[in-house]
Amino acid sequence: MFPRPFEFVRAGSVQEATAILAQDDGAKVIAGGQSLIPMLSLGLAAPTCLIDITGLELDGIEIVDGLARVGALTRHRELERSAHLRSVLPLAAEAAAFIGNPRVRNRGTFGGSLSHADPTAELCAVALAHGGRVVLSGPRGERTVGIEEFLVGYFETAAEPDELLVRAELELPPAGSGTAFIEVAERDGDFATAGAAAIVTLDATGTRCEHARVVVIGIHGLPVRVAEVEDLCAGEAVTESLFDAAAAAVERAAMAEDDPFISAQHRVRCARACTKRAVSTAFARARGEHP
Amino acid sequence: MTVADVKPSHRIVGEEIVRHDAVEKVHGRTSYAADAALPGMLHAMLKRADVSHARLRAIEIEQAKAIDGVVAVLLAEDVPNNRIWVDVPGQTVEVGALKAFQNVLADRVVRYHGEPIALVIAESEDAALAAVDAIEIDYERLPVIDDPVRALEEGSPTVHESGNLLTEWVLEEGDVDGALRDAPVVVEDSYQTQFIDHAYLEPEAGLAWLDTDGVIVIRASTQVIEHFRDVARILGVDDNRVRVIAPYVGGGFGGKEDMTVEPYLALAVRRTGRPVRMVWSRQESLQARQNRHAVRMHYRTAADEQGRLIAQDIEIVSDGGAYAFLSALVLLYSTTCAPGPYRCPNVRINSRVVYTNHTPCSAMRGFGAMQVALAYEGQMDRLARRLGIDPLELRRRNFVEKGDTLAIGQPLPTHVALPELTEAVEERIGPRPVPSSPHKVVGRGFSCNFQSYGRCVWLDDWSSAWIGFELDGSLVVRIGVPDIGCGQASSLVQITSEVLGVAPERITIHIGDSALNPLTGTTTATRQLYMSGNAVLKAATELREGLAGVAAELLATETEDVEFSPNGVHPAGEPERVVGFAALIAACARRSVPWQKLSVFNGPKGVPWKADEQWRGRVLPDFTYGCHAVDIEVDQDTGHVRVLRYVAAHDVGRAINPASVRGQIVGAVAMGLGQALSERVVFEEAQNLTGTFAQYLIPTAVEIPDVEAIVLESGEGLGPFGARGIGEPPVGPPVPAIAAALHDALGITLTATPFTSERIAIAIGEQNRAAD
Amino acid sequence: MNISLRLNGTPVDVDVPPHWTLLRTLRDRLGQTDVKHGCGEGVCGACTVLLDGVAVNGCLVLAVQADGGDIETVASLADGDTLHPLQQELVERGAVQCGFCTPGMVLGALEATRIGAAADRAEIRRSLAGNLCRCTGYTTIVDAVEAYQQRVANEVSP
Repeated sequence: MFPRPFEFVRAGSVQEATAILAQDDGAKVIAGGQSLIPMLSLGLAAPTCLIDITGLELDGIEIVDGLARVGALTRHRELERSAHLRSVLPLAAEAAAFIGNPRVRNRGTFGGSLSHADPTAELCAVALAHGGRVVLSGPRGERTVGIEEFLVGYFETAAEPDELLVRAELELPPAGSGTAFIEVAERDGDFATAGAAAIVTLDATGTRCEHARVVVIGIHGLPVRVAEVEDLCAGEAVTESLFDAAAAAVERAAMAEDDPFISAQHRVRCARACTKRAVSTAFARARGEHP
Repeated sequence: MTVADVKPSHRIVGEEIVRHDAVEKVHGRTSYAADAALPGMLHAMLKRADVSHARLRAIEIEQAKAIDGVVAVLLAEDVPNNRIWVDVPGQTVEVGALKAFQNVLADRVVRYHGEPIALVIAESEDAALAAVDAIEIDYERLPVIDDPVRALEEGSPTVHESGNLLTEWVLEEGDVDGALRDAPVVVEDSYQTQFIDHAYLEPEAGLAWLDTDGVIVIRASTQVIEHFRDVARILGVDDNRVRVIAPYVGGGFGGKEDMTVEPYLALAVRRTGRPVRMVWSRQESLQARQNRHAVRMHYRTAADEQGRLIAQDIEIVSDGGAYAFLSALVLLYSTTCAPGPYRCPNVRINSRVVYTNHTPCSAMRGFGAMQVALAYEGQMDRLARRLGIDPLELRRRNFVEKGDTLAIGQPLPTHVALPELTEAVEERIGPRPVPSSPHKVVGRGFSCNFQSYGRCVWLDDWSSAWIGFELDGSLVVRIGVPDIGCGQASSLVQITSEVLGVAPERITIHIGDSALNPLTGTTTATRQLYMSGNAVLKAATELREGLAGVAAELLATETEDVEFSPNGVHPAGEPERVVGFAALIAACARRSVPWQKLSVFNGPKGVPWKADEQWRGRVLPDFTYGCHAVDIEVDQDTGHVRVLRYVAAHDVGRAINPASVRGQIVGAVAMGLGQALSERVVFEEAQNLTGTFAQYLIPTAVEIPDVEAIVLESGEGLGPFGARGIGEPPVGPPVPAIAAALHDALGITLTATPFTSERIAIAIGEQNRAAD
Repeated sequence: MNISLRLNGTPVDVDVPPHWTLLRTLRDRLGQTDVKHGCGEGVCGACTVLLDGVAVNGCLVLAVQADGGDIETVASLADGDTLHPLQQELVERGAVQCGFCTPGMVLGALEATRIGAAADRAEIRRSLAGNLCRCTGYTTIVDAVEAYQQRVANEVSP
């Protein structure tokens, strides 16, 4: 229906926010609110206190030493629409366009997406594909956690209840790389049935794969970085059968479950198709084509 | 001059006038049911069952009542007449109870997930929600009945004491078994459609108050203001102590045809004496309110070598959910239309609607006649493929014609435009598209359908309208029609303007008030243009007759020569010799000739079905015929469908406002495509899992392509100026058209909607394996 | 909590509980009923408003989060009775049936046009994917938005 009552605090600093989180285990952080508020309206969550962090200076993206430092309050819409960001983080830009609808993208944030850890969250897949770490801040200070360690499970992260994600640091792929994000959903903007984020790098000859990393959503309770794809692509010629092999590897890595609306088999089927297309598109872009 | 003599000069009928309500709506000024408020207003909210079949052992409401701001919590025992009985048309004692019931609040048993149990009345919505949260219910679970076929088996647990069979229609015309045995070709298949939600954008809502005479006034989003009678029955008061007002409705589609908030608002007002508002959440609306029936159909169809139908053997089992509502009538429509708009000498139909613990099913755009289109068109396509005949050509060899009678005895009184409609569609659909990438294929499908307009003739339908001049020559129309967005009000203004000459800008129409407007019946069954339109036409024509006599005197001419124009009355051919309406009315006053008229239009009558196999007769007034074509592209790896192009042609008799007609066609196509591809209410043990708009997938602007509506005007229809209704008919063809397109694209035959990407992908896989 | 807003150009102060969404606040505290409640989940777009020039779902923003913000609803577009050109196109093309989705649709289309996210019919459709309509089937809405963009383009280039 609509949210039940709660207290509200506008945090003046990260320390203030995490101090409240430490004292009150019914408190939650709110930034964009595009995942949290629907949960409150549907009665799926009932926090006692919301801590608004949108006033904190946690936005902005800087490129430092081959790392993209993405502020937690970066809005999806910025990633989607900024020409500059599209050039430095093309995978994130492409993925952001699949998130919900334009209104949701105007408010939703990068940090929110990572912290919520929805199993089909596009930006979680993107972060995992890039590799790197998140920076968490709390009463015990700041610490970094590798993205793979951070995304623990189904709506579960490694953040302690009193920690706040303040930024992600994504490893940027080297020159000669291409990226692609492909997703299928029932309707435009729906939660993904399946999707694949691919970052590939060509070798010096431009005909063989140096690295390929694929992260898939929809085949498990969290995005999966499919290690077998990386192994089987390294050093191989970039051909149609390589794309098929990558898709087959994704199928072997799948641990999807049926739900009342979509079967596991269908998610895997779609994951295969997304993987094949993402890998093929990423390689084409690495070669300088624009599919 | 009679109604039949009025030929439209197309001064205004046939014009695409801008609807007056559209302007207010685009400003955001229109006050819908939830937009009105009154000082001292309370809020009402329902506590609903969260299980699908259980006895209510205990309902704990003391905690809820103790919450600050809660005024009252009502249970079944607080409702004067908690049980509402409805007739089950065509029912026999051999089959089951002659009457069906529903409860305002659950009485000892709940039979579906979401059934209302308690009514909370509070000072604020927050307090009401807290109270709803605080109500505790002790359920004793009962066996869940969630399969309509198993529900009919011996020994099945029952939803109601009367047994699980609600209604059955049986008819046989000719010798079906003999025909099937001897026919050169017989095709057979089973078809299935899913539960569908109306998913209008405006959730159910209303505001009610006690007026100064103690009449309970309910201003609610409804398609039927006549529910004041049902509310009165529930309260145990005379009908004239309840008034229902329908503001502009934010979409109905049959979902606001039964009562929604009305009884609860009335109870709350009666209890507190204060104004009360009730607004349902989208989640309640999706989870707990009536759906479209899920229908299983089994058809055997026999034809000769030329594809002419010889026999149809049809079985229908419809899942009606936990309470009857309009299920019996919906099934009647399915039965009447089951063979399709095709001639066939030997027809057997056995149709049943069954109680289960699913959400009750009732009216929805298409009303039983749209589901059978999947089956009858699927059978025609099967025949076409078996015989190697073009699918549209096969249909042309079988179309019904004006003057025919359907198997159930239903006459077809007006022109059947199906041949022209198929030609129009074939011409407009254009060249076949080309796939946009290697892993995609394209396909094209055609379908035809028919759907009635006007209510079942056994219901003695009627409409009334009042039209009157003001002294200054402006005009008022009063008619109790709810406008649910199809332009009902605007079309009636056009008809009035056509007959009486007054420009639409000088006509004010008051609608939707059971106390202040002549009643005109429900905005359902594609009947308003037909019935209200005819009532308005009759009132306007009869009023014109009287005025023409006075005008003739003033103008020194013959009555037949008097023309009515926006400036007033004048002799034919002499527009400058005009007498303005104000002067005309003044002249009427001096002669005691009335300048207002109340008229009643009666729909056709019929003798209801009697339960013996010889009964044959008219069920419905008439039909609207259509032909659609669709081009699709399918992703062979994922099964996803993209609709590329869509053409929909219907004969509407006469288009009063062609823009409104096209709007209905395109909107109905979108709804049909939603049913074809993505929409479904998903249950698990009769628990409705589809409680959010994120889960119930209605098409967005991305899923629906540009739809081209072709409007044919045969001039023959039972409505004003020969119009036919168009609200429901276009919702039927999209499902079979998509099925046909899928076969064309992939060679797969899908017979259960929705044709999700998953089902398509599985069918592709099976076919590939079969080919290997 | 006390919050201050600019609502269609007028400053307002309102005391509202933290758990109230902007949508509830606009409708039930400030009488701004041109903003519609359709689903409460951010899917249907009927509650679209502009917050500091950016389109948001009113049901997915807490009122307290909008403190200090500039809110525009559909009511801010017309000049008295003179409709905004986009509104004019919608009305003239029969793109308003029940009208419930219309306020949100207008603002959604307006924002998409302003930021250049709706350059052709396919893009118009994508930018309106979060504004559901159950009546029109969308064709006339897309026609109206396209026609509006033509008008804007014609005014800009001499």
